Amino acid sequence: MVISWKTRLYIWFRLLLLQASWNFERLQGVGFFYALLPGLRKLYKGEELLAVSRKYVGYFNTHVYLAPMVAGAVLKLEEDKASGEADPTVQVDDFKEMVAAPYAAIGDALFWGGLRPLAAGVSLFFAIKGILWAPLIFVVTYNLVPTWFRTVFFVRGYRQGMESVEFIQKNRLPDWAIHTKETAIVLLGGLSAFMVFSHLNQQQLPSWLGLLTLVPMVMLGLVARKGMSTLFLVTVTVVTIFLLGLFWADMVYLIAS
Amino acid sequence: MNLVLTRIDNRLIHGQVLEAWVPFVKADCIVVANDSIAGNPLKKMMMQASVPSRMRVEIGTVADSVVLLNSSQLNRCRVLLLFGTTSDAVRAYREGLSYDQLNLGNLHADKGKARFSCTLFLNPADMDDLEMLDQAGVKITSRCIPADGERSWRKLIPSAKGPI
Amino acid sequence: MTGSLAFGALISLVCGLDRVAILQIMISRPIVAAPLTAMALGEPLVGVQIGVMVELLWLARLPVGAAVPPDDTQVAIASSVLAILLGQELNASGIELLLLCLLVAIPLGKIGQYFDHYARQYNVRLIDRVDTALDRGSLLGAEFQHLRGLTSFSLAAVGTYVAIVLGGFVAIPFLWPLLNQSLSHSSAWIQLALPLVGVAVILGTINVSRAITLFCASFCMSFLLMWLV
Repeated sequence: MVISWKTRLYIWFRLLLLQASWNFERLQGVGFFYALLPGLRKLYKGEELLAVSRKYVGYFNTHVYLAPMVAGAVLKLEEDKASGEADPTVQVDDFKEMVAAPYAAIGDALFWGGLRPLAAGVSLFFAIKGILWAPLIFVVTYNLVPTWFRTVFFVRGYRQGMESVEFIQKNRLPDWAIHTKETAIVLLGGLSAFMVFSHLNQQQLPSWLGLLTLVPMVMLGLVARKGMSTLFLVTVTVVTIFLLGLFWADMVYLIAS
Repeated sequence: MNLVLTRIDNRLIHGQVLEAWVPFVKADCIVVANDSIAGNPLKKMMMQASVPSRMRVEIGTVADSVVLLNSSQLNRCRVLLLFGTTSDAVRAYREGLSYDQLNLGNLHADKGKARFSCTLFLNPADMDDLEMLDQAGVKITSRCIPADGERSWRKLIPSAKGPI
Repeated sequence: MTGSLAFGALISLVCGLDRVAILQIMISRPIVAAPLTAMALGEPLVGVQIGVMVELLWLARLPVGAAVPPDDTQVAIASSVLAILLGQELNASGIELLLLCLLVAIPLGKIGQYFDHYARQYNVRLIDRVDTALDRGSLLGAEFQHLRGLTSFSLAAVGTYVAIVLGGFVAIPFLWPLLNQSLSHSSAWIQLALPLVGVAVILGTINVSRAITLFCASFCMSFLLMWLV
């Protein structure tokens, strides 16, 4: 029994709604069931379908962009099982459980940790220049890689089934995530320098002052590392600058006299 | 051995551990003490593949992990230790691994478990395990990621929902 | 006015759902959501300025697993709406009003975090309903329960938007005459500082060894280059 490409396309679209019922108890569990249901309907009937469904609504969580790959592979495994050519050592549940956490870890590092700051850094260069296309630049640069993962790997997962995990094992994606983050940091360094430099030019202040920005920034970074919240850091910074701004003229006057 | 974080998390290595805790405690080695992962080469390989190669990962049974941690092999590492269940944590403690703090991350819902916080679901046996560790002087706190507040597990008990 | 508020609510709904529930094409990021809102209200540049200031602040709070970050999407959308509408109302313009709206909205982003939390907690109830639907033999019922989760996420998103806008409409007309003058001394500096605080938080929490060293090197290099050229 084979799941037609139309059904697979339908499942792919349903995967866009994966987290619609995200909750603290089963996380993406119900969503994964929801996405796969059109496929399961083709493979099982009646009581059997209900029994399989009950299994699918259980606890499951992985990264949204890698879920299509899991879904593709699971469809393949279910298909093999239904046609009786399944490898009896591989249980679909086990496969789901085995890949969920590692894929989540890889996706979090690569997409949330690496790609998001990188794309944000790129688009902010344009935004600071006042270019109104900046949001579009963000959406396009960011989505290139996730879309590739969502589509190509859905197809690949379905084609390769169990073997689809090899790609992840071979390609050392976590190392790619680190390289992406390093690039993002370099970019953010350039972005910060650019912002400070153009600000000083506007204020008609000497440029070398800009290098001093590193001092408060490194301090804030170290405080943030200790677990201090962003809200607190924003408050402290804004209040300090506000007060300095208020009393700057007075202080200069006092020192001068 | 320099144990920077001991955590119970049924998902073991995942995003919260790698993206939030590792930089926070500056760990450079993750030890996963879990019998079922250690006994399944494929699962073990998948888990290792999710960690950057510059980090050291040791995945072993609870007993093996205790031996490893008590040996001098990891002396130079800042170790982040992960258990999958409370009973594994207790077993490791009984087998001679001493840790004085225990972080509760995720323990997912199941039949017969009561809800203690959004991500913590415990059954009576888990409670007994934690009680035993608490008696032994381990400081047990619940904290999902470093940006969350740290709360003592005892403070969670009154807010528990469901059968204990 | 009502039309603009409703338009803002619509954008807050769509972008808010993109955060967790559907799509995840990142139209929920402030750098997209704020300009989108401001464009709909006819002053796109305001949105871009707000987007720049909010985008980096909570970028380091990753939505990993069950961890819920503060709602920067609604902060961006609501402060754009506030800045534009109150600008017309108070007959004010310029970066000072923008900053005031933002500074009122940023702490209220915490409300969004609670609402999001609550929505995910509320959705636990759907599980029982899914299970009963399956016991009844109704797959359609189970599918329907999954989609019902969208309601709680929608309410959380729009609720946060309404809370911030209301808070802004109450606080800002009162604060504006008091702070207008004093803010003008430091507004340009605060505008610069907000994204830099965001960068600092990213440096402090990103999982890269020697992130700060790398950043300083890159900062100095770019700075010297710009200086020389």
